[in-house]
Amino acid sequence: MVWRLRFRGGAVLVGVAAALVLGSAAARPLVTREGVLPPGTELFEDDTLEEPTELFVSELAGRGRSYRLNLGDILFSSPAILGGLARRAGISCNTCHREGAGNARLFVPGLSSRPGTFDTTGPSFNPKADNGRFDPVRVPSLRGARRLAPYGHDGRFGSLRAFIRHVVVDEFAGPEPSDQVLDALVTYVEDIAFLPNAKLAPDGRLTERASAAARRGEAVFRRPFPHDPSLSCAACHDPAQGFVDHRLHDVGSGGPVKTQTLRNANFNAPYFHDGRYATYAEVIAHFDRHYDLGLAEGDRADLLAYLEAVGDADKPLTRRTVRSERDALGQLARVFDKAVAEQNREVIALAVEAIGNEWRELAENFPGPKDTALKAGVAERLHAAEAVRAVVLSLRRLAMAADRGEFPAAARALADYRREVAAASGKLLRAAPFSLFDPGARKAHLRALEALTALGAPAPQKR
Amino acid sequence: MLLVRLTVFAALLLLAAPAARAQSLAEGAQAYKPFVVARASAAVAAAKALEDAAKAGDVKAAQAAWIRSREGWEAIEPITSEFFAKFDAAIDAWPDATQGYHAIEAPLFAGKRDGLGLKAEKLAADLASFAKAVGAPRFRFAPQGLLNGAAKLAYEVGENKSKGGESPFAATSHRDLQANAEGLETLYVRVFDPVLGKRDAELASLIREKLAQLKRLVAVDDLKSLDQPALHRTGEELAVLLQTAAPKLKLKKPAIGEAR
Repeated sequence: MVWRLRFRGGAVLVGVAAALVLGSAAARPLVTREGVLPPGTELFEDDTLEEPTELFVSELAGRGRSYRLNLGDILFSSPAILGGLARRAGISCNTCHREGAGNARLFVPGLSSRPGTFDTTGPSFNPKADNGRFDPVRVPSLRGARRLAPYGHDGRFGSLRAFIRHVVVDEFAGPEPSDQVLDALVTYVEDIAFLPNAKLAPDGRLTERASAAARRGEAVFRRPFPHDPSLSCAACHDPAQGFVDHRLHDVGSGGPVKTQTLRNANFNAPYFHDGRYATYAEVIAHFDRHYDLGLAEGDRADLLAYLEAVGDADKPLTRRTVRSERDALGQLARVFDKAVAEQNREVIALAVEAIGNEWRELAENFPGPKDTALKAGVAERLHAAEAVRAVVLSLRRLAMAADRGEFPAAARALADYRREVAAASGKLLRAAPFSLFDPGARKAHLRALEALTALGAPAPQKR
Repeated sequence: MLLVRLTVFAALLLLAAPAARAQSLAEGAQAYKPFVVARASAAVAAAKALEDAAKAGDVKAAQAAWIRSREGWEAIEPITSEFFAKFDAAIDAWPDATQGYHAIEAPLFAGKRDGLGLKAEKLAADLASFAKAVGAPRFRFAPQGLLNGAAKLAYEVGENKSKGGESPFAATSHRDLQANAEGLETLYVRVFDPVLGKRDAELASLIREKLAQLKRLVAVDDLKSLDQPALHRTGEELAVLLQTAAPKLKLKKPAIGEAR
């Protein structure tokens, strides 16, 4: 079980019964019996330096990132736009939709039926939204969202804007978002791209990179169903339309549900609206059964190969490094230029919280001498952590000045922030080999953590 | 044991005496020292009780002693890493299953007794050495170090402490935070407020207000009741105000860390 979990925009501490920690980049603590969320909660893994790759349509098209996209990216990782338990627990959109993808590890006892599912109409996050039923749904990936209307697993929302407002206000008890907040979130989500997949041509057909089995599976996918030739897998999962048809269908899972895309779906498990299936094989078996397809064993294997080819990505994961984190923060902080110039207090306050959280998280990868598992580079780590804290406090000065309405002082604080970031950059890079960004150091840290946590595991009950 | 109790009693008596308003930072630092000595002595006494209880196999008494000792330690955290980094690393190591408070906390609050006696013995010895060092008549707190320590702790209260707790196995992190806030306020009021109040009464008042806000925020019954975003914002604001106060106190702007 993982308790303290990193996510862009902050760290969450969740309650646990004592168990083994898989890991965290954070200096402390990883376990607690007094967390905000129920014991046994797991938000996502932090035992790896890799995270889901995130690409944007605008960047792929060479247009660069707009102010609104950067602001949306910031808000997506900001607990401050949510309310109630989510805000207190430091949960943001990005907690469930990691880097715009799904989250197969997410599990909250009482709200999840299995990892990767969550009951958005449960009593915890917004009691007003409680429908009195335990009906968790799969946490979907948002890749390609602009092409995947309608929204919600039951397709209740025709527009992404209405759906996002619903999630913020109704599901997570946030305040009514301002137009600029909602516009930015919509821009961000609409810009999350499908990950490139060399096995898939733009028209949705397989390329020569796909295996022979996958190409045989493509034929099965397009083959009319024996008992209703108007149907086929491809009829609903239209390859030319991103493998969706924008409609609802009853596929024997308890009522009409929206057709899900198959692109990048290898990374979207569990499957079906309620996450009932963990694998493609189970999904194929369901359709074979429900539509009485009579698939031969070879057909099933070929169909599986096809789904795996369609659902793949050239680079599904991206390694986090000091440089990548620094550059990402530099990109996001560009919103301050416009926000300070326009004396936009709301954006400044939200961005300081979110970007400050990011920097604090970064600093936690540079533990001090109390982390006795890390022997080398103590001085370098101390210098790096200290420099990052100076960055954080320069942001705080910016927020304090803006809050007082002193925008010339805010502009000076922003200039200070840029200087502090420049000063921190070299120190961070010098300390990187001794930090938790280094796989060896991270391993040593995690081992120490596991040893400590094992001490806290409950004693075996005597019979 | 009797000697330890007498030392604690004497230190508390000293602490209870009404403190005159310091005329200088050096005087303030001297006025603050009895608070540190008293809390260090309390931490030692409780650690000794922890050791005795652990060796006797009395888990409940050991848990209670661990919590008492911890509170003494947390109240003086502004000075531990700043002035006594080596003791800090041994006493409050993380993550470390071999030494310090947390290596005892993890098994102790899981109801285990095995191996606790030796770890508690080392903790008590480390704390006693620390208390002896800080209580030595010739030891003086440098005001710059005190300001550094205060700003760092203010930042940390908002940084990682509010997110996860210092004492995750004992589930007493809110008490750690309360002790931190009390320690910060005591340090500021005894050392810096009298001097700053004369030079910039408005800033001194702002810092007192921020400390009071911090205390209100941590006055909760458990960690889950904390308004964590407000706490980390308040901690950072306090750190910024302490940095702003530095030149008025004729001190350097405190860096938030222990880099030398």
